[in-house]
Amino acid sequence: MSGGVVVGGWEYVWMAYGLTSLAFLIYGVTLITRIREERLRASMDGNRE
Amino acid sequence: MEIPSVATSRTPYVFLAIGVLCLLAGSYAGLAVAPAEQYMGNVQRIMYVHVPTAWNWMLAILFSFGSAIVFLFKNDLKWDNRLEGGLEVGTLLAFLLCCQGAIWAKPTWGVWWDWDPRLTTTAVLLFASLGILALRKFVEDPVKRAIWSSVATIIASIDLPIVYYSVKWWNSLHQQQSSPSTVSSQFHLPLRLNAFGVLFLMIGFIMIRTRIAAYRMQHELAAPPLAIGEEAGELA
Repeated sequence: MSGGVVVGGWEYVWMAYGLTSLAFLIYGVTLITRIREERLRASMDGNRE
Repeated sequence: MEIPSVATSRTPYVFLAIGVLCLLAGSYAGLAVAPAEQYMGNVQRIMYVHVPTAWNWMLAILFSFGSAIVFLFKNDLKWDNRLEGGLEVGTLLAFLLCCQGAIWAKPTWGVWWDWDPRLTTTAVLLFASLGILALRKFVEDPVKRAIWSSVATIIASIDLPIVYYSVKWWNSLHQQQSSPSTVSSQFHLPLRLNAFGVLFLMIGFIMIRTRIAAYRMQHELAAPPLAIGEEAGELA
């Protein structure tokens, strides 16, 4: 901070953007994994019937 | 109660793709094109992810609230699946919102966290959402689970207008809401692009998460296969 103005701060900007992208990416991957598992289980349930 | 069917279209993946494209364009505009703010400098660029996350988190909670109401009126379990989808994605957005806010607070307020009304009420809703998701894990009966989590979601959603109006009701550390009408026109493009980006991503995530919930419910409600002994008994 210099004279009421924030100086620099790019590290905080990258931290916020990095965390957001990483969270969306990890959540997206877990969703794809989970839906594949559920589809497989549903097809196995169908075969059993 | 009828077992909800599972949709199989590619629509959620189209939403995800559009969301990623909007976020890439919005982030480029926010990081490389838009000017730094007069007082906050480059740190203000966090607004382009923080504010869209906040708007869409509120939409996700509203969607869960609406799903809870419709479930209680119609007794249709597909609305419980939608509630689960909205609530989980809303919890992710609330967690991100708190983290982004903390990252923005450090260089501007000098602290990572403050028990300011806006931050506190947001954290309350985050923990309430986590609690409802935990409740759903512990209740085995799908109908009881749907009723209890609908009621809990409606009660938790009372906090949403308090979050929204907290900056107006209490003169606290958190600034008033940022929107295209309250910020410079030079900041509009990245803000709008990222808002639509998070919106499309959120819709895609909720649709996929709802399908996962529907598959699980189909498995839970399907009749259990006959045991070998029972089958042999019937034949004899």
